[in-house]
Amino acid sequence: MLVRGIVEVAVHTTLLWAAVAFYGLALVLILPSVRRRRPRLSPWSLGALGLGLLLHATALTVTTAQTGRLQPTDVRSALSLFVFTLTAAFFAVYLKYPITSLGIFMLPFVFVLSLISALQPPPSLSPGGLRGGWLLVHIASMMLGYTGLFLTSVGAIMYLIQESELKSKKPRAFYYRLPPLEVCDELYYRSLVFGLVFLSLGILTGVVWASRTWRGPWQLDPKIVASLATWIIYLILFSTRLSGSGRRRRAAYLAIFGFAAVMVTFLGISFLSSQHGFFPKLGSP
Amino acid sequence: MNLVLAGMNHRTAPVEVRERMHVQESTLVQALKALMGHDGILEGMIVSTCNRVEVVANADDKDDAATTIRQFLSGYHRCDLRDYESYFYWHRQRDAVRHLFRVASSLDSMILGEPQILGQIKQAFLTAQAAGTLKGTLHDVINQALAVGRRVRRETALGTAAVSVPYAAVELAKKIFGNLAGKTVFVIGAGKMSELATKHLLSSGAGAILVTNRTYQKAVQLAHAFRGTAIQFDQIFQYIGQADIIISSTGAPHFIITKDRAERMIAARRNRPIFFVDISVPRDVDPSVNDLDAAFVYDIDDLQGVVEANIKQRQREAAWAEEIVEQEVQKMMRHFASREVVPTIMALEEKLNRIRQGEMERFQGRLTSLTPEQRETVEALTQGILNKILHGPITELKSGAGSPEHRALVQVIRRIFGVAD
Repeated sequence: MLVRGIVEVAVHTTLLWAAVAFYGLALVLILPSVRRRRPRLSPWSLGALGLGLLLHATALTVTTAQTGRLQPTDVRSALSLFVFTLTAAFFAVYLKYPITSLGIFMLPFVFVLSLISALQPPPSLSPGGLRGGWLLVHIASMMLGYTGLFLTSVGAIMYLIQESELKSKKPRAFYYRLPPLEVCDELYYRSLVFGLVFLSLGILTGVVWASRTWRGPWQLDPKIVASLATWIIYLILFSTRLSGSGRRRRAAYLAIFGFAAVMVTFLGISFLSSQHGFFPKLGSP
Repeated sequence: MNLVLAGMNHRTAPVEVRERMHVQESTLVQALKALMGHDGILEGMIVSTCNRVEVVANADDKDDAATTIRQFLSGYHRCDLRDYESYFYWHRQRDAVRHLFRVASSLDSMILGEPQILGQIKQAFLTAQAAGTLKGTLHDVINQALAVGRRVRRETALGTAAVSVPYAAVELAKKIFGNLAGKTVFVIGAGKMSELATKHLLSSGAGAILVTNRTYQKAVQLAHAFRGTAIQFDQIFQYIGQADIIISSTGAPHFIITKDRAERMIAARRNRPIFFVDISVPRDVDPSVNDLDAAFVYDIDDLQGVVEANIKQRQREAAWAEEIVEQEVQKMMRHFASREVVPTIMALEEKLNRIRQGEMERFQGRLTSLTPEQRETVEALTQGILNKILHGPITELKSGAGSPEHRALVQVIRRIFGVAD
C-alpha cells in the first residue's frame, strides 16, 4: 500500500512537471506572435497549451483516483486545480475572443502559478479528509469564481493600457497589439458577472457546509471574512456598472485591486486560518 | 532561363516620363504581341500603372534580351530610347525575380503596403496569359510573385495601419468601439476631410449618420449623399447625445464642445466611450475634454501624428516582408536550378549505362557458361559500381544549385564525363 502510494505520488509529480513544462513552452511559443503583431496565436502555442492541459488533467485524475476525492487539502493541489480551471477557461475565452493579447496576459500567470504549485511538497494522498457534496460545490464554485475574477482583471489591465495609448494620442507598441477598447471592456464586464455569480454561490455553499460541519465561531474565520470583503468589492463594481455611474478607469483599478485581494485570500490567509488553512488540522472537527 | 526586366517607377522617373512610357490597358495585348514579335523572346509581360512601367521577358539563352526590349520600347513608343535611358532600371535573372516579388508585395510602392498593386499585377498576368505570352518559366515566376504578395499580406501587418488622415480617424474609431455597427456619426460642418472620414466610417459599417451645417441647405445635401438625417444647426445639442462619433469642422471662433458640455454628455451616455474628431482650425472641441473618462479627442495634428506613427510601423513590417521575399527568391531560384541540372544528370546516367551495356555485350561470349542466377549477379555488380561512381557527381550537381560557381561546376562535370553540351 505504501509502495503503491509512493509510485502514485511519483506519477503525479512527473505529470504535473510535464504540464508545467508545456505551459512554459506555450508561453515561449507566443513570443513570435507578439513580436510580429500577429492578430492570433500560433497553432503551435495553442497545441503546447492543450497538451499541458491534458497532462494536467491526467495528473488530477491520478490523484483523485488514489484519494477518492477531488477536494484540495493543501496549497499545491488547490493551486493546481486553479491553474487547471484557468487554462481551460483560456481556451473557452479564446474561442470567443481569438486575440494574441489574451495569451500575453494569461499565459505568464498560468505558468508561474503552475510552477509555484509544482514546487510545493507533494501531497500525502491519504484517503479521507474533507468530504461532502456541499463542499464539492463550494470548491468548484470558488474555482470558477476566481477564474472569472482573474479574467475581469485581465480585461481591466488591457482596458487601462489601451485607454492610455488612445489618450496619449501617440500609438506605441500596445496600440497595435491590444484589441479595441470596447472588446477589453466586454471581456471585463462579462467575466465580472460570471465571476460574481460563482463567487456568491461558492460563499453560500461554503456557509451552508461550515454551519453543518464546523463547531465554534467559524464565522470569524479569517478566510471567510476576507472572502466576504472581496465579494463586496465585486458587488460594488457590478452595481456601479449596472447603474452606469461608475468611471471606467476607476472601476478597472478596483477590479485589479480586487483580484490581488482574491489572491491574498486564496493563498495568504490560508496560513492564518485554523479551519480553512490548507495544511493544519486537516479535517479538524 | 534568361529573364530580363526593364522598368521605371515613381522614384526613378517623373510623371511626364512615366506617362510617355505608359501602355494603355486597351492596347496592352497589341503591345505584348509586338514584344513577342522580336526574335528570341519566348515569353513576355507588361505591367503599366500610374506609378510604374515594367516590361519583363524570358528570352533564348544566348539572346541579348535587353537589346530586344530596347528595340521594342523605342519601336512601340516611337521614340529614341537613349533620351530615357537614365530613367530605367534593368534587372536580370535572380534580381528580376526579386524585383517582381518586391513589387507584388507592395514593398516598392509609393505608399508602402498599398493593396492595389497586387491586383494590377494579377490583371497584367491574366491579360498576358490570355494573349498566350506566358507559358513557361516567366509564367511560374509571376504566379509565384502573386503568391508571395498574398503571403506578405497574410503574414505581416504591412498593409494594415492607416496612412491617411481620414483613414486614421476610422482606425481610431475601430480601436475604441471595435465593431462600428450601430454606432451613430454626427457630422458638424462640412469639408473634404470630414466627408472622406464619414464615407470610410460608413463603409466600415457605421450605423446612422446625422449632419448639420450653418447653412441648412448644405446639411441637407450632405445628408442626402450619406443617406443620413439633416439637423438644424441650432438644434445640435438636442441630437448630439445620440452620437458616438462626432466629426467637427465648423471653423467657429470658439469651442462648440466645452468640457462642461462634454461632461454632461458622457454622464448621459452612462460612461460609454465617445470619440471626437476635430478637424477644424480653430478647434471646435476643448482639448481638455480628452481628460474626461471614456472621452477621446483627436485634432488634425493628432491624426497626423497617428499617420506618422503608422508609417513607421509599416516600415518595421517591411523588414519582415523583405525577409519573406528573400526566402521566396531563394526557393524559386533553387527550383529553377534543380530543373536545370536534370538534363545533365540524365545525360550522365545514360552515358555510363551505355558503357556498361557495351562491355556486357563485349564479354557476352565468355559469359555463356553462367547460370541465370550468376548472370543476374554480374548485372547487379556492374550496376552497383556505376551507381557508386555516379553518386558523388549527382550529389554535387543537386546541392548548391543556382549559385554562379555551381554553373562552372556543371560545366566541369560535363567535360570530365564527356557529356556533350
